[in-house]
Amino acid sequence: MNVNVVIIGHVDHGKSTLIGRLLYDSESVTEGRVEEIQKLAEEYKKRFEFAYFIDSFDDELKEERTIDTTGVMFKGQKNLYSITDVPGHKEFIKNMLTGASHADVAVLVVAADEGIQEQTGRHAFLINMLGIKQLLVVVNKMDIVDYKQEVFQAIKSGVSKLLASLGYSNIEFIPASAMEGDNIYKPSPRMKWYGGPTLIQILDEVEVSKELRPLRFVIQDTYTVDSERVVVGRVESGTLRRGDEVIFQPSGVRGEIRKIKVFQGELERAEQGDSIGIVLDREVKRGDVCGLVEAPPVPTEEFLGEAVLLENKLRRGDTLELRCGTRRVCCEIKEIREKINSETGEIVERQPAEIGENEAATILFATEPLVVEKFSEIPELGRFILVRDRNIGAGVVLETGI
Amino acid sequence: MSELQDLENKSLYIIREAYAEFKKPAVLWSTGKDSTAALWLCRKAFLGEIPFPVIHIDTGYKFKQMYKFRDAIAAEWGLDLIVAENEEARKAGVGPQTGKFECCTQLKTQALMQCLGENGFDALILAIRRDEHGIRAKERYFSPRDEDFRWNYKDQPLEMWDQYQGITEDKTHTRVHPILHWRELDVWEYVKQEGIPINPMYFARDGKRYRSLGCEPCTSTIDSDAKTIDEIVEELRTTKIAERSGRAQDKERSFTMQKLRALGYM
Repeated sequence: MNVNVVIIGHVDHGKSTLIGRLLYDSESVTEGRVEEIQKLAEEYKKRFEFAYFIDSFDDELKEERTIDTTGVMFKGQKNLYSITDVPGHKEFIKNMLTGASHADVAVLVVAADEGIQEQTGRHAFLINMLGIKQLLVVVNKMDIVDYKQEVFQAIKSGVSKLLASLGYSNIEFIPASAMEGDNIYKPSPRMKWYGGPTLIQILDEVEVSKELRPLRFVIQDTYTVDSERVVVGRVESGTLRRGDEVIFQPSGVRGEIRKIKVFQGELERAEQGDSIGIVLDREVKRGDVCGLVEAPPVPTEEFLGEAVLLENKLRRGDTLELRCGTRRVCCEIKEIREKINSETGEIVERQPAEIGENEAATILFATEPLVVEKFSEIPELGRFILVRDRNIGAGVVLETGI
Repeated sequence: MSELQDLENKSLYIIREAYAEFKKPAVLWSTGKDSTAALWLCRKAFLGEIPFPVIHIDTGYKFKQMYKFRDAIAAEWGLDLIVAENEEARKAGVGPQTGKFECCTQLKTQALMQCLGENGFDALILAIRRDEHGIRAKERYFSPRDEDFRWNYKDQPLEMWDQYQGITEDKTHTRVHPILHWRELDVWEYVKQEGIPINPMYFARDGKRYRSLGCEPCTSTIDSDAKTIDEIVEELRTTKIAERSGRAQDKERSFTMQKLRALGYM
């Protein structure tokens, strides 16, 4: 199974080192790479670090911190992993979200000598907002605290409390040292008091399941193929069958699926995730969302979302572009209900006039008609981004039809 | 759904988004396995003919078999092929002997820049993958460039949930990377599954084969007995040798690749 894992946590708590260790111990490192890194370390007058397997910008080595997100792939015992490293520094939250948005599982790294720091809380908050339910915690750098059980227990209790406030419970904690290789890929002989699974053992048990949900087919474009009009797009949830009676929103067009087309062939049905083409008896356009007549998508002109802003300011009354699926609309910030501390998830201000960079808030959006779904019901259509020339913010839909 | 199906679905989505977003896209084709697979994905995305030009950057130093393969496939798939070359630099004698960094920049990056200038393309579809090189692992699916082709890797766009950055005011074209999430092994398994035609230089002869194809003077073979796609797949499952180990520009000195890419190299 393909499993997407994101490694999160505060700057310098050892995220890149942990991934470097996973690659090294699983023998996924190519020949000569170790020597290459030793050479680099000498060039930069640094000691050999596992992090150098993935920090590949000149500046990242010089500054000893990860600037941008990196994706690496390796095979565990069971699963095939895409591991995403994200920067742990506040100024790179945008890159952190880019890396984390597709994750199935998050691994929160907390250094044993520092405990909870600013980005520990913020990353956990953002992961929760992204709807990533599978989370585990690695208490790293146990070597620095002499592998003491008391230190591990103290951090475990603090982090559990933080995570419980976000709604996470029954989280697994692993005492580890990525630098020395304890409990990452190999069990540690130095922490006999632990006796639990290693990180890779837990990851290999992860399952990614797809839930049964109503059909939502998002339209990307219409092509003419052999003088036939083919509407292309992706099934975001549910199943589409030939002969289905469907409705498209916000255009309101009803029709019948005459054919499901792929390159050099036709299908009887298409499932969640499939990029396909359909032939209809009606004209529809990009931005429309298709569902079955029995469980149709409902267009809305107002919804409540929770969003985080990564650049600029957002003021009550501002208008900007909002994108959900392939639909792009103009939206107005009708009301900023609550400003949220993105480190703790606490409400810090009600009805503020504006929010700034790296701040989160619940916002009432007024928009041109579009289909959005509650994030908790159909996440693929329950998330949106905000655009002001650049992509400046992202959010999820809490309530529709207000 | 199989793993390859997942990869393909995402690639088709990206290609269709690029076609909907940009006015004048084109796809780059080196004739190697990755970009040939990317062309195949374009054919699948549009259920037949690729509705935009295919650019081949010709340094004049490519292998003979690459030209032969290129012309055969272009005819078979009805490609709108543009061959881009920096004639001036070649006449002035730029080549591997005048320095590899300079040669790559002049004969590849500059040639592409001229081609873009002449044709006004606003998006280039490229078949780079994250697992090829550390620096490519940092890329976005949609990666904006300014008129000087510079890659501002310190300030890359927010890219979440298949919402890609469109052209911004300060940018002139976007690099689109539809197979960024594929591994080398995936490409070969896909080539096999789909029956995609492939340059025979990838298959072993006399105990040697090419694992990555570039220009003749800067590309070397690896030791291998893999004579079929199945044998290549088997070899890749166990190898510890880096894919681009036979490509000189990656290794000349630290961060050559970062510097080349910052200047617009692919």
